[in-house]
Amino acid sequence: MKVDELNKAKVPIVKIDKRLERFRGKVLFPEKLALANKMLANTRLPKIPASK
Amino acid sequence: MKYTRYEYQTEDELHYFGFTSIGPKGSIKKIVEYTKVSVDDIYNLAFGDYDEQADRLNDKIVTNNGDSTKILATVVSTVYAFTGRYPNTWVFATGSTEVRTRLYRMGISNNLEELKEDFYVYGMKMDESFEEFIVGEDYLGFLVTRKNKNINL
Repeated sequence: MKVDELNKAKVPIVKIDKRLERFRGKVLFPEKLALANKMLANTRLPKIPASK
Repeated sequence: MKYTRYEYQTEDELHYFGFTSIGPKGSIKKIVEYTKVSVDDIYNLAFGDYDEQADRLNDKIVTNNGDSTKILATVVSTVYAFTGRYPNTWVFATGSTEVRTRLYRMGISNNLEELKEDFYVYGMKMDESFEEFIVGEDYLGFLVTRKNKNINL
């Protein structure tokens, strides 16, 4: 796909690369995940506006 | 989208995305990962450089390949893809350093108008509560979710 077409596509066209499947089930950035868990542990999700 | 972005690849479940940054430092493989956190329905977005030869990832390295805007637009694009498949999820992102968090903020700010058409966008304040994202505000992290849940990729 050309870059021009790619840029116009709001919903991206997803290309599958089987080589990425070797990561499946692995946590590639464990420190980031631990940090996110810590930051989110005591927080509440925002309330989505009801009117939208 | 307003900014150019790299073409990227993913695997069947759309949890891992790969693309290649191209600039003065050469071609650098990037990996974007979505991992479920311990809070229901939230996935953590992380990305960094992938050294294929060493088979190692690094989310702290500053590559300076002159294409940070394009990289961030690409990462934002993966959010469209991931939430297209998993529309009821929330995506959280924070940087591994303050500099990287500011970079994320820049990426959201640059793409905010378009993002807000499709997502609710929030920033995590210093007290770890969320508010609707405001350009120029400092945040600890960022959280988005789809407005329209009736989408499937």
